[in-house]
Amino acid sequence: MDSLDLIVNIAAATLRLGTPLILAAMAGLLSLQVGQVNIGLEGLMLAGAFTVVAVGFATQSVLVGLLAAIVVGMLLAAVFTLVVTRLKANLIIAGLALNLLVSGGTAYLLSVLFGTSGTFSPPDLESLPSLYIPGLSDLPVLGRLLFSFSPLVYMSWLAVPLVAIFLYRTVPGLHIRAIGQNEEAARSVGIPVRARQYLALMLGGALCGLAGAHLAVGDLALFREDMTAGRGFIALAAVYFAAGRPGFSALACLLFGLFEAVQFRLQLASSTPPQFFQMLPYLMVVVTLALISARKEWRKGWS
Amino acid sequence: MSRRLRLVVMCALLLTLLVGTSAIRAQESDLRVALIIAQGGLGDRSYNDSAFAGLTLAAQDFGVEVVPIESSDPVGEGEQLLRTAAEAGFDLVITLEFSHFDPLARVAPDYPETLFSIVNIVVDQPNIVSVMFDEHTGSYLAGALAALVTSDAEIPNTNEAASIGVIGGVQSSGIDVFLDGYLQGACAINPDIDVLVAYSNGFGDPATGRELALAMNEQGADVVFQVAGGTGQGVIEAAKDTGFWAVGVDSDQDFLAPGFVLTSMLKRVDIAVYDLISRLVNGELSGGSVAQYGLDENGVGLSDMVYSRHLIPRAYMDRIEELRTGIISGEVPVVDTRIITEEQRTAFYADRTCAGAAALMASME
Repeated sequence: MDSLDLIVNIAAATLRLGTPLILAAMAGLLSLQVGQVNIGLEGLMLAGAFTVVAVGFATQSVLVGLLAAIVVGMLLAAVFTLVVTRLKANLIIAGLALNLLVSGGTAYLLSVLFGTSGTFSPPDLESLPSLYIPGLSDLPVLGRLLFSFSPLVYMSWLAVPLVAIFLYRTVPGLHIRAIGQNEEAARSVGIPVRARQYLALMLGGALCGLAGAHLAVGDLALFREDMTAGRGFIALAAVYFAAGRPGFSALACLLFGLFEAVQFRLQLASSTPPQFFQMLPYLMVVVTLALISARKEWRKGWS
Repeated sequence: MSRRLRLVVMCALLLTLLVGTSAIRAQESDLRVALIIAQGGLGDRSYNDSAFAGLTLAAQDFGVEVVPIESSDPVGEGEQLLRTAAEAGFDLVITLEFSHFDPLARVAPDYPETLFSIVNIVVDQPNIVSVMFDEHTGSYLAGALAALVTSDAEIPNTNEAASIGVIGGVQSSGIDVFLDGYLQGACAINPDIDVLVAYSNGFGDPATGRELALAMNEQGADVVFQVAGGTGQGVIEAAKDTGFWAVGVDSDQDFLAPGFVLTSMLKRVDIAVYDLISRLVNGELSGGSVAQYGLDENGVGLSDMVYSRHLIPRAYMDRIEELRTGIISGEVPVVDTRIITEEQRTAFYADRTCAGAAALMASME
């Protein structure tokens, strides 16, 4: 295998691994910007993963499943919003509760609805069809990098500019950022705070639904208990990493994907203990977050 | 909740269970057997379900009363589960939960009249029967078959590279015994074969399993053995989508992707559970012992290969059968890497190749 092949393989794997992170990060970013950081991204994703498989199986249509995943993500996010705004629950506790609820709830539904535990992979459930454009998809390098993925990968690429435009170029987006800066001040100038909070968090719920759906039926066609495996938290870390900016958040997610893709291949090439490589992506987050806050402190010291 | 209250609640729960599941009984014997279900629960179509099948069959054949005990948290509730079962007067309490080795060592001395049994680990006490499987020998056969298949251009889903792979959930001796058996089997067929080894760092993340398998396949591995639970499902999906062979584990997973799962390395917990009860009924089961299930007892072995056997030349299957009988008779040695010394382990894992395996084998003598 020549080095160009290797680079293309790693790049394609990076894009695949980055997709659920990017979608979830955009949701995390919306919640951060509206001042209600949602650590329940993990649970929302898992709910999306379960819904797309369950509804996709029941209706024999993965597209209907996808729509249902979006709806379930939004509904759960609406409940979360209600709990943290009107009912004034602690954000951290509510987020954790959401994660636990979905983790236990999906396992329970798995056994009640489908009489199984662990993994549910209905034999006639198909994964989302990968994009194939005759000619373009067959191009040697570009074909594999741009025209070979499952549709939600492209959706994640679209989500980044859309969220950026929404937040920085539309009135509701401006409201959301204003609420995040100072809720009382926003209320005093007549911004419909409650409605905007629902909007931001429910849009996030929809994105998380898509992120979970990608994990379940993007490339695979199955649901596994707790299959999100911490990706919601990694997405949130990426948002902090990028100080809440959409483009940089997405880049941070891709960087994470890159580390994973490289980590897999380093394991195959070396006899260094695998734990070392598995630690790298997380180490990167800790180091970068430390650097960012150090830089902040350093700037403060000068002004 | 106080300890006593918890116990009362547990007893109440157990009572409900007893009432609820008393259907599985006949009156030929007054022996009673409890089976504590491990994480994953009944309905996992794998480990727990397999053990339960053995339990049900034994109940029918021997007329003993059997009760499966499920808990929402078998790890955290370990000690309570074991105590409640012992106090309910079962003659044999089998726990499928590996993590119970610690609570079991505490509980067992308090109930000398009860026989306990634990799977996958040895707990040395006078009233405990430890059940162990020879995963290394079954995996050896899987590795040998993989090595035969990878270099045969006639067989679909293969490439010209003599390269195969294996993915473990985490690096631990219980998982490595599969990986190292597979490596040894492959090297027995082709000492120049390249065996790629990687860990997915978890058992519940099929997306990672898929990517890891794809990375292996990019580097030429066309048979990938997965010992990674739910993560392994991603390996099988990758094999189906990309066109290479996966190898299943524990239960017969060949049906998950017909034509893309070469075989499955079976671990027959059902046979072990059935055998334990059979020996109990015959009065041959005594504590302080290790019940070993290997190729000879059909405790481990390859699946029937319903979807792939017609693609594999007769000569290859004969070779596998030869190795199987050789291992049983002791002519073909296979190192169980759970029981090697720390120095041997360090040396072998620094060079986990056919050469390293040969050196390990040499150091065993």
